[in-house]
Amino acid sequence: MENRLTSDHRTDAQVGRAQSSGLRVLLPTVLPAMLVVLGLVLPLFMFEGDQHPSKIGLGPGAWPDAILKGMSFFAALWLAREIWVLGRAGRTTTLSPPDDDLSYSYAKAIGGLVMIVAYGWLLPLTGFALTTAAFIALWCVFGGVRKPLVVIPVSLLGTYALLWVFMGLALMPLSRGVGVFNSFSIALLQLLGIY
Amino acid sequence: MIRKSNTRMALGLSLVAGTLAFATVAPAQDYPNRPIELIVTFGPGGGADLMGRQMARFLEAPLGVPVPVSNVAGASGNAGLTALRTNAADGYTMGTLISLTVASWAAGLGDNEPEDFRVIAVAQSSPSFLFVSSNSPYKTAEELFAYAREHPSEITVATSGYGTQDDVTLKILSDAGVALANVPLQAPAERYASAIGGHTSAIYEEPGDVAQFVEAGQLIPVVVFDTERHPEFPDVPTSAELGIDISGLDNFRSIAVSADVPDEIVAKLQSAILDVAASDEWHAFCKKTYTCIEPVTGEAAQAMVRDFKDVIAAKLGS
Amino acid sequence: MSTIHLLAGGFQAAFQFWPFLTIVTGLLVGVVAGAIPGISFVNAMAMALPFTYVMEPTQSMLFLGGIYVGGVFGGSISAIMINVPGTPASLPATWEGYPMTRQGNVKRALAIAVTASATGGLVSALVLAFLSAPFATFALRFSQPEFFAATLLGLVSVIAIAKDQPLVTMVSLLLGIAVGTVGVDPLYGQARFTFGVPEMESGVRFVVVMIGLFAIGEVVDLLATNRDLRPKKIDGKGLGVSFRDILNVKGAILRGTGLGCMIGVIPGAGATPGAVIAYGVEKQVSKRGKEFGTGVDEGLAAPEAAKNATTGAAMVPLLTLGIPGSAATAIMLAAMMLHGVNPGPLLFIMDPSMVYTIFAAMIIANLLMIVAGIGVAQVFSTLMRTPPAILAAFIVVLSVVGAYGVRNNVFDVYVCLAFGVLGWGMKRIGFPTAPMVLGVILGPLAERYFLTSLANAHQDWTVFFVRPISATILFLALVFVCWSLWPALKPIARRLLGRKERFNV
Repeated sequence: MENRLTSDHRTDAQVGRAQSSGLRVLLPTVLPAMLVVLGLVLPLFMFEGDQHPSKIGLGPGAWPDAILKGMSFFAALWLAREIWVLGRAGRTTTLSPPDDDLSYSYAKAIGGLVMIVAYGWLLPLTGFALTTAAFIALWCVFGGVRKPLVVIPVSLLGTYALLWVFMGLALMPLSRGVGVFNSFSIALLQLLGIY
Repeated sequence: MIRKSNTRMALGLSLVAGTLAFATVAPAQDYPNRPIELIVTFGPGGGADLMGRQMARFLEAPLGVPVPVSNVAGASGNAGLTALRTNAADGYTMGTLISLTVASWAAGLGDNEPEDFRVIAVAQSSPSFLFVSSNSPYKTAEELFAYAREHPSEITVATSGYGTQDDVTLKILSDAGVALANVPLQAPAERYASAIGGHTSAIYEEPGDVAQFVEAGQLIPVVVFDTERHPEFPDVPTSAELGIDISGLDNFRSIAVSADVPDEIVAKLQSAILDVAASDEWHAFCKKTYTCIEPVTGEAAQAMVRDFKDVIAAKLGS
Repeated sequence: MSTIHLLAGGFQAAFQFWPFLTIVTGLLVGVVAGAIPGISFVNAMAMALPFTYVMEPTQSMLFLGGIYVGGVFGGSISAIMINVPGTPASLPATWEGYPMTRQGNVKRALAIAVTASATGGLVSALVLAFLSAPFATFALRFSQPEFFAATLLGLVSVIAIAKDQPLVTMVSLLLGIAVGTVGVDPLYGQARFTFGVPEMESGVRFVVVMIGLFAIGEVVDLLATNRDLRPKKIDGKGLGVSFRDILNVKGAILRGTGLGCMIGVIPGAGATPGAVIAYGVEKQVSKRGKEFGTGVDEGLAAPEAAKNATTGAAMVPLLTLGIPGSAATAIMLAAMMLHGVNPGPLLFIMDPSMVYTIFAAMIIANLLMIVAGIGVAQVFSTLMRTPPAILAAFIVVLSVVGAYGVRNNVFDVYVCLAFGVLGWGMKRIGFPTAPMVLGVILGPLAERYFLTSLANAHQDWTVFFVRPISATILFLALVFVCWSLWPALKPIARRLLGRKERFNV
């Protein structure tokens, strides 16, 4: 931590970071340590059930095994370097996170991630048309575009354009949803002249 | 402001409700009244893709609706079949089911079973051959096999992988004393290039996939793995003639639906596919790819898939 | 008839009304599809395939060829403008082009990119037209060990181009290669790392990973920082670049073109390794190598030239041998076969006019690309004026559609979103994502080529070193590693040699 503060260009953001949680201090050592373990443990979970590969050559496990061991090796070197620089002035840690902590809104970022994941998760259940229209509208509102006269046309026309291009023109089988949503999507697509 | 957007919301909701009223479940006699998706279980450009796309193209006339093709590649065709199995069993999703995928089941891949699918028709099938390059020192199977008997595993054969019908064929040959080294090249393009470029001594393939190289004289067929000689290659001996009986490992390609699709819909699809298979365009296409067969339907088709899996499983297990 | 005559005939045929319109349409479709984050040109070509049913065989090739040429460039438009590569081959454009945009030089970046791309594509199209036969013979001499060596060179250049610590880069790269091993292995047909989930057998496609890591991560940052996409002050009037500027980077363009032409014939490799290796080489060769990553003209021009130079080179094995080396050329093969045309040596004899019309079309498409590229970029910069929130919403939707469209598989959407979350986290802690993507792209190729090389050589490990071409490329890779690591090793070496006076750098 102190090594950052000794650097020449000491900015408010860096001071802010130095005062932030202890996670920042632990992360540089915890992450490579976790990766070392990951690389050693993952090969044990490579195969499932009763597979019986041909007994010719190196087999299907050799390459991933070597790669993961290699990753462990380099992660171990990285860990060694982190420990080496710990508490030494004038040296930087191995990772270089972006310097925008003060202007970066983590609440908004996490909100956005949750919305994106929810969108992908709902897509096969409620169908592309409905989910997309809802997502675009919600995202606009969350992102600061709040005028209904903008949000509603953008979400509806945008969804229609996407439906027309991908399902109508490119004939992609985008999700119609399940159950009642499936029936709704079919009716909608027939109404729009895509089916 | 708030009231305004509430009004809009109500408007939108009534629109949704209106559309929902349209959405009535269509009875089977109306089938088909919207596009039928054909899932090709491999990427664009391969044998399954060509078969699927030609079939889709010609099916649009007898069925009267568009038949869009979507490639769902992955896990030796199992990704596409999983999509076929899990989509609504309303007859609006068909898929390609080919021998390579059935062989992968025998090797323990995927969670699909022959019982999960209703094979509407096996539309194409072809026995496989061994081909050698035109500048190979062995121009006949006798020469090739004789050399392999004396120098086990020295002759390399490009195949589509371990645990496939290619591998099984080589295993049977090896049991009969003709040991050939299996070089598994998954990408068809690499397989062809390795044989033409002389990087492998031979290639195991069905003739349709390498037709252009055979016609150009770059590849020479030396043996066919079938009970009788191929009508298009009357000079090429069968492996049985050379004392090693290998058959029942033909590459077949079929159109299948989920096992839960109602009988009357299957009947409609079957008659449409048989119409296509009887057409001149389809014959021209099959002839070019050396895959013409009398379409196999019903229980016979189902049995073909089951038996193929059992044959491969028995051979891989040993 | 000589090549010149045949090619003249090809131009005559291509300049007819409908063929020409087909090329232009294909080119525009390609540039637009490539530029849309999430939709790659391979996607676009597969979607366009049904439209070619109604066309003449030659026309269908002109259409797909146009999409191919345009799409390989198009990916750089979004890479330069919003830091989201439209296709994996445009990754280097995010490293060098986007910084230029941040400095307000977006027009300049686009002009250099499109000129370099067009030049690379044009040269490779000429190679295709005049040297296809010797090139094809050359390509056939390559086999699995050479492919492995070249892939390894691609992996090695990742270390050379990294701005981060080599250790972290290595970990990220190996992590990416490990991700690439998920699913059915290429030789034995065995499922790996599925953890009991059957969908995992399909494996992880690199396009899906790329969309997740770059598009989703960027969109979330857009939301969290309220960053405005509108370029602050667009550089000057006109194109933002002078003829002299282009002349100044001619060395970079030529080196990129040469590398692209060579790498393009390697099956499965295609544009991405071409661009990455060209960037790595340029970083070592260029006088401004140390400034790379801050918006250097050479660093943008070389990979741009290389990736489009792979287009003509990838067509060589397809047209001369009938062997498609990449996903894009496999789709072209499908289009020809669906018309009952078998590409290969016989096509040159039976229907040379078709082959030479395709050659002519590739040349025309690359020339037109300068206009099309700038035009589409204009439209995109107009789109940038819409509020960032609306733009971001559509980028998310298109990313999800794009991830789904790779294989029409819902599971790929989940994978994409998982990598979106992971990528965002990696970015926040400063763990580099680019090596990981390249690992996912090149790792599976390296594994396959490595194991099949051994299978073809009766498991003899020396195969990589006794074949001259393979040995040469491996030696180059070694030189490359030493060369790029030298600045880091120099202080240590000096210290070991006892010369401490200039150590404190």
